[in-house]
Amino acid sequence: MLLIDKLAVLADAAKYDASCASSGAPKRSSKGKSGIGSTDGMGICHSFTPDGRCVSLLKILLTNFCLFDCQYCVNRRSSDVPRARFTPEEVVRLTLDFYQRNYISGLFLSSGIIRSADYTMEQLVRVARLLREEHEFRGYIHLKTIPEADPALIVEAGRYADRLSVNIELPDPGNLIKLAPEKRIDSITQAMGTIDDASQDSREDRRAPTFAPGGQSTQMIVGADASDDRTVLFRAESLYRDYRLKRVYYSAFSPIPNSPSSVPCQPPPLMREHRLYQADFLLRGYGFKAGELLGDTSELALDIDPKLAWALANREQFPVDLNRADAGMIARIPGIGLRSAQRIVELRALKRVRYQDLLRMRCIMDKARPFVVTADYRPRQDTIESAVLRSHLRDQPAQMGLWG
Amino acid sequence: MKVLDCDDDFDRWREQARNLLRASVPPDQVCWEDAAARQLFSEDSPHGDVAPPATDKSIRVPADLLQDLKLAGCHRMPGRWNLLYRVLWRVTHGEPQARLAGDPDGSELQRRIKAVRREAHHLHAFLRFHPCPANPSLDYIAVHQAAHDVLAWASEHFIGRLGRQRWMIVSSRDAVWFDGETLQHRRKCPPEWRALAEAVCNEDDVLWQTYYSCIFNPARVNPTVMRGHMPSRFWSGLPEGKLIAGLVGGARLGARQVGQAGRVIARRGKRIDIAPKADQGATSRGR
Repeated sequence: MLLIDKLAVLADAAKYDASCASSGAPKRSSKGKSGIGSTDGMGICHSFTPDGRCVSLLKILLTNFCLFDCQYCVNRRSSDVPRARFTPEEVVRLTLDFYQRNYISGLFLSSGIIRSADYTMEQLVRVARLLREEHEFRGYIHLKTIPEADPALIVEAGRYADRLSVNIELPDPGNLIKLAPEKRIDSITQAMGTIDDASQDSREDRRAPTFAPGGQSTQMIVGADASDDRTVLFRAESLYRDYRLKRVYYSAFSPIPNSPSSVPCQPPPLMREHRLYQADFLLRGYGFKAGELLGDTSELALDIDPKLAWALANREQFPVDLNRADAGMIARIPGIGLRSAQRIVELRALKRVRYQDLLRMRCIMDKARPFVVTADYRPRQDTIESAVLRSHLRDQPAQMGLWG
Repeated sequence: MKVLDCDDDFDRWREQARNLLRASVPPDQVCWEDAAARQLFSEDSPHGDVAPPATDKSIRVPADLLQDLKLAGCHRMPGRWNLLYRVLWRVTHGEPQARLAGDPDGSELQRRIKAVRREAHHLHAFLRFHPCPANPSLDYIAVHQAAHDVLAWASEHFIGRLGRQRWMIVSSRDAVWFDGETLQHRRKCPPEWRALAEAVCNEDDVLWQTYYSCIFNPARVNPTVMRGHMPSRFWSGLPEGKLIAGLVGGARLGARQVGQAGRVIARRGKRIDIAPKADQGATSRGR
């Protein structure tokens, strides 16, 4: 099989993985050195595919041959897909070539399970070792970890990779038995624990070799089982807390060729995925708790964003006086983000904040207007009922495409 | 009214502005103009130099303000230097908010800085290097058209990225060349550099094009979001740019329902016929 045909099969097989982040790595540079590659902690999106997703890393599987039979996965052993397998050297060659042409910032390598979990993990580690040691590659490496593999192999992977990830797969572990009979929640969480322990050790001991400095992430498939947003967000919150994950990625389940009847056959729930990412962002950056965002509902609203939904459900905390409130509360106002909140605090050290200032900062005033007080403005809508406000503020429905 | 010209060179503007500040010339008494866009009623012809005043009055300018002005000075637009002097004047005359986003001038300053940073980021993201195997003194070359004056400094990023490799980036205005040790910037791209680029930069890269087509998931097609992140003015410089219309069209004509790339569907599939063995160690259910 030609390299180009393998690339077609193994990129196609990897497209259901959501993460393509190349952030969180320490600063590395090849200036004046042999070898290539640099990282600066920020990550770069080198291209965007027409689905609006970023291309930052070469995201491929080492092989899509797989012994497992996870119902939601296109590469399950009972699936009738073309199969291919790269040699580690081929992956290395592609990575270096694409990197030098400035198509990518690094590699995100995953694999189907072949022979055994340990053998598969060894192959993944071998690619990373070849890149780092033989070719002095200093770009980003993200390795998907096989949870059932020997912890010693996971620790070895962390020495070469910037980020490791173990997929939690489904929000409700109970459904794993039905949809992914070979996977077990204990081995998944044990692998997360192994990664977390090793990265704590390397952080506490300065002489210890670095271990996955970009931390660990995971992916949850949304819409393959019947779990609600409450299950998803509480699961995410506990993962952030228990294993210090950097990110939880939500992947809207997208119909797969020759789909088994155990998983839905409908377009991916993209709006739901979008709202989950917004809520997740509020958990990580804004100090919200999952319970606050959901209140007593089990699903996030689809017509308004979660911050607006929270504000409408908590009107007693509004309007917020921008000249008095602390930065944390300002960032909780719909239409005002962390950056604008910071800017408002800087500005009011110099003068009283006025309505016009918010316009200049490009706050989203349509959303913020009912919730703020400035030196020269008080909202008239303050007395309007939340239900009425919501009907004014909801996203306008888009017309359906003619061809679905 | 003093009419000045700094040839869009920050260091020259800085020298002029320093002398004006020391001579206490307010911003409404001075105007920088471009050779291309002369003021309609200006009587003076533009000057490059401002005589330093006799006073030895020293002016203190915060280092990070200078950094902001330098970045905003990279924003290409007619009369770009006038705003910078106004901000500089106001900050040094007791109005520190003149550089912040909440102020009318500061808001414009921050907008320009943001646009310049974004353009530097576009350079790092969307530039495409082409190998030059036939050239013994150059490894990679690229053509990239930036909308602002970012090439001279933002291209340093590629020194860290490519180590000792030798590369060149040309545009319709300026160009840079890294010979493995030092980075040279030319305000006007030499024609022989441009010829080097034209020789290789139109070649397709089928490996990359294959990857791009196959990593795209037609079930999630959303060209509006793509265009927001990757403005279409860059597409002609990307090997994948010419594939976009076909991929979006294919998704609208049914590829959404499959999700798989056409060239993968065309291949024969293979089920793996092994029953999971209870004693297969790590992969078994019973562990």
